[in-house]
Amino acid sequence: MTNQQNSGQLPASFRDPSGFLFSRGGILYRQVNRAYEREYSRLIESGLYERLVKAGLLILHVEVDKAEGTRAERSEPPGEHSRSDAAYKIIQPERVPFISYPYEWSFGQLKDAALATLSIQKRALKVGMSLKDASAYNIQFVRGKATLIDTLSFETYREGQPWVAYRQFCQHFLAPLALMALKDVRLNQLLRAYIDGVPLDLASQLLPWKTRLNFGLLTHIHLHAGAQKKYAGEEVNPRGSISKRAMIGLIENLESAVKKLNWIPRGTEWGNYYDLTNYSDAAFEHKKQLVKEWTARVKPALAWDLGANNGVFSRVASEAGPYVVSFDMDPAAVEQNYQVSKKAKEQNILPLLLDLTNPSPSIGWANRERDSFGSRGPADLVLALAVIHHLAISNNVPLPQLADFFAEMGKWLVIEFVPKPDSQVKKLLASRDDIFPNYTREGFEATFKERFDIHEAVDIRESERVLYLMKHR
Amino acid sequence: MHFAPLPYLDPGSGSFLIQLAIAALLGLGVAVRASWGKIKGWFGIKSKTEEDDDESTE
Repeated sequence: MTNQQNSGQLPASFRDPSGFLFSRGGILYRQVNRAYEREYSRLIESGLYERLVKAGLLILHVEVDKAEGTRAERSEPPGEHSRSDAAYKIIQPERVPFISYPYEWSFGQLKDAALATLSIQKRALKVGMSLKDASAYNIQFVRGKATLIDTLSFETYREGQPWVAYRQFCQHFLAPLALMALKDVRLNQLLRAYIDGVPLDLASQLLPWKTRLNFGLLTHIHLHAGAQKKYAGEEVNPRGSISKRAMIGLIENLESAVKKLNWIPRGTEWGNYYDLTNYSDAAFEHKKQLVKEWTARVKPALAWDLGANNGVFSRVASEAGPYVVSFDMDPAAVEQNYQVSKKAKEQNILPLLLDLTNPSPSIGWANRERDSFGSRGPADLVLALAVIHHLAISNNVPLPQLADFFAEMGKWLVIEFVPKPDSQVKKLLASRDDIFPNYTREGFEATFKERFDIHEAVDIRESERVLYLMKHR
Repeated sequence: MHFAPLPYLDPGSGSFLIQLAIAALLGLGVAVRASWGKIKGWFGIKSKTEEDDDESTE
């Protein structure tokens, strides 16, 4: 949230001449520039806005008094193109509880974001409008649904014109989805390196040859990449134009290409370690009960479950009211978590992919377009259950550094200490020297006491483990 | 062809051309489906309504 708390224009919205985001008094606003007046009116008057909001596809907003925007008009102009653009309207979009990025989404999340984008485009075409961009970063998960958050993404559709966002859609959605489904699910991490989506020539090279037999992938990725190479830098002045009917055909074809892509975690590689915990039922229930009780006690608005697995404890915590972001580094666990959450229509859980030993950095222009994991915090409550041994032992992070890290991440901390006699830790130490003399209950408590007040320390029934409730000093 | 105002995203020359080719092909498909629906209509067979077929996002 750091960027959003500086009053002024947000660094992620500098590209758009139609308006920009700014924050004032901790509230997020979007300025609609004069240049965008006609498009904005059309969005509202055509009923498209209302229909999209009702379907959960577009973020809700209210128009506010323009005086609210005086700060915006006085602030730095967002770029050359807007200098002559005064504010037409100031709108206040609904707050998104946690901003996430496509490289943090599971396969199913990216697929739903792609389908939401196409569904919006189809509905827009019906009223003579079209999306002028198809950036995955314009989609956020709101109440569990993939939702467009950029209200200024619409332009008037002129029959004959191509879909200007076609290339972007293929790079941001189709290429990574195809790579994840047909090559390796971990290739979504290419999105972290390529902020404007996976280059199509790269996707084309990486995809298995058989994908050329799939009409959608053959055309939108392989031939598309070939055409890009062939006509690179050339000015095209084609005679043809794209009829509305053909445009709808194109969108529906992209939709069917996306729908055909699936990734189901199975086999020994993914997703069968959920049964491999060393917990007895009694221990599991005891832990659940403590998490529930303590979450209710500290009443967080935002909780982060770090190392959430498939989200069992995120769900327990969410019953006490907070919005829970449920992080795990295993794509299969995150996918399972998302599918459970989607099926149950949960509104306050957001499963995300995150490797705690290498969390999302700040990326983009001047490293300020997309916030790092840490700068989107702190949370009110951090859950770190059955995770400390992975960080301290597998990743060799000294305990004082772990205490510092957790202190930065949140105000309250529920942390489980997993001692050396625990079978999971024994496994981690089986193939290496024990170079962790301080990794004991006493060492852990002494270290964490330097940063936290320990409010509770409870031995988990039928286990070697201890659960703590601590407050950052 | 001239598009005004200029798009703020560069659609890319190659992307534009391939889109044109694919859309031409797919437009044909949509046209065939539409007339097929009409023909079925003559025989009193109702085709599925096109309106809001976005079940995945409803």
